[in-house]
Amino acid sequence: MNQEELNNKLLEIKDKLIDIEQKANKRIFLPCEAENTYAVNKFLFEDVPLRFVIATGIDSDDYFEILYHYSNDETGCVVTVKAFIRDREKPAIESIAPFLPGAEWIEREIHDLLGIDFKNHPNLRRLILSDDWPEGVYPLRKETKK
Amino acid sequence: MSWKIKALKKSPWVFHVNVGACNNCDIEIVNCLTPRYDVERFGIKLVGSPRHADALLVTGVGTMQAAIRLREVYRQTSKPCVVFLIGACPCGTGIFSQGYHVAGPVDKIIREVDPNAIIAYVPGCPPKPEAMISGIVKTLAAL
Amino acid sequence: MSVSPNILFWIIVIPGTVVLGLVASWIVRKVSALVQWRVGPPFVQPFYDVAKLMGKEILVPQDAHRIVFMAAPIVGLAGIILLSIMLWRIIVTQTTFLGDIIVAIYLMVLPSLALILGSSASASPHAAVGTGREMKLVMGYELSLVLAFIVVIIKTTALVEQGQQLSLAAIAQHAPVFSISGMLAFLSSLMCIQAKLGFVPFDIAEAETELGSGVLMEYSGALLAIWKLMQAVMLVTLPLFLVMVFLGGLSADFLAGLAKPVGTLPIGIIVLLIFIVTGLLARFNKYIDILFLLTLIAACLLAGLGKYVLILVMIILIKNTNPRVRIDQAMKFFWVYCSLALAIAIVLALIGNTCGYSWL
Repeated sequence: MNQEELNNKLLEIKDKLIDIEQKANKRIFLPCEAENTYAVNKFLFEDVPLRFVIATGIDSDDYFEILYHYSNDETGCVVTVKAFIRDREKPAIESIAPFLPGAEWIEREIHDLLGIDFKNHPNLRRLILSDDWPEGVYPLRKETKK
Repeated sequence: MSWKIKALKKSPWVFHVNVGACNNCDIEIVNCLTPRYDVERFGIKLVGSPRHADALLVTGVGTMQAAIRLREVYRQTSKPCVVFLIGACPCGTGIFSQGYHVAGPVDKIIREVDPNAIIAYVPGCPPKPEAMISGIVKTLAAL
Repeated sequence: MSVSPNILFWIIVIPGTVVLGLVASWIVRKVSALVQWRVGPPFVQPFYDVAKLMGKEILVPQDAHRIVFMAAPIVGLAGIILLSIMLWRIIVTQTTFLGDIIVAIYLMVLPSLALILGSSASASPHAAVGTGREMKLVMGYELSLVLAFIVVIIKTTALVEQGQQLSLAAIAQHAPVFSISGMLAFLSSLMCIQAKLGFVPFDIAEAETELGSGVLMEYSGALLAIWKLMQAVMLVTLPLFLVMVFLGGLSADFLAGLAKPVGTLPIGIIVLLIFIVTGLLARFNKYIDILFLLTLIAACLLAGLGKYVLILVMIILIKNTNPRVRIDQAMKFFWVYCSLALAIAIVLALIGNTCGYSWL
């Protein structure tokens, strides 16, 4: 679909988002809270539909962010869902792996490195850290020193 | 010197091990084995199993996960053998020295298995194929 | 059956075949290098390889079946050396024994069988994959090989006189390749030999070490050296077998051929001198290097091994111009295309026999 149709489609879930930001010509950001991300992701993957590219985990000082990147292959537009996780003690978010199996491993990696718990994840095991890495030490958190 | 080392100098078969490299050195190693640089005149051949190999070409800073496996691979290489550390990363962890997953430079990992291992260092990021050939030839001459 | 007249033959045949095999493997590597516009290994490289392998330690996997693991390479080498002794004796003395064709066919299977046994005793998943592929490959080309020999046997029955035994010595006196069915059978069996030697395009089982798996994965040290020797001797024996069956055998008394009339002896000495001089100076100049290779080939031609060199060159050219095929492509090639061509060849040979056309 072209850019206009995409913009119109995105207005359908505007109530779940904080905002729709168009940062550049082919770059759309959809910030939202952690509770709504499951519904937003499901909408983008199944109803629009867009292709899931990858997810990113960020440790901003007051909160965690998880970015889910989707691509509209016809126009080259990349739509990114920005999920804010406000709880720094026990960060948790609902996993999108039940309907998007391609996100399984990237969520495992974010769990390994940032310690974010993904609820309903089918297989939340260690992925990239070594087998004798101590539990509870998350290397990519800002407070972790070597 | 014994006939075993003499024959080893004339026909070193190499096996390539990547213990956490960015792939740059791996590409240069594969370049080195192409007909343009013709390492077959030294008798060098790429083999697919460490049991057939005389020289291990190790690239990459040793990550914690790979360190365990590298020790196994070194044990499975039939002695006598030489270890070549290709690139700045295995020689002394390079730019990754502060990384959280680095198990130390590769010669430290290998000396835990075999304190008398013969290790040669070919620094560079990545080293040119000519540098690798020069390193191999000088090491074999010094054996 | 008279014993071979020359005791010298029995002393030098086994080490001579091994040395000739290593020289042939050098020729393969050198010509492949020249085809790829590079220099390639020096002449003594295969000998250095074997010497180095003898000096390495032998590692046996813990779960491997020890006896089969260590006996398999020896069985393979013994089988192929036995076949080579048989062939050299037929070439030199022109005498043979009853049923030698059948003995030759089953001795030719022995190296592949030893490879399968050795790799399945290795207790390694990569070797297991290689074993499965080697078994499928053997099932593929054995049928074509036997059919090709049947074509030759059919054609030779028309040419052999009454009362003469149909044996390898009799087959080696005629050249069935100069007929349509013979040419079809020769080309099919050339591809089967390529598969049996483990060369591209059919090196599925073994050189797949490049792809991480392979039948010889767990072998090291002296056992690996025996496998390499077996492959070297196969490089002598199998083309020699093809020469005897299809191309009319080597000249009868080639050992004496070098010392025949005076005309050949000075040429032989000159060639030997050029061989030694260029061999010593080969590393300094690439033209001397190529001259060395040509002198080696000229020496082979003088010794009467011209037809063997021809088949070796064909094998090298096929090896260097083809990619590796998958196992299902190889099976389809042997079971569909080769068998079809050989079925046509058998029909043509039978028609040629009954109607008296020797060119069919």
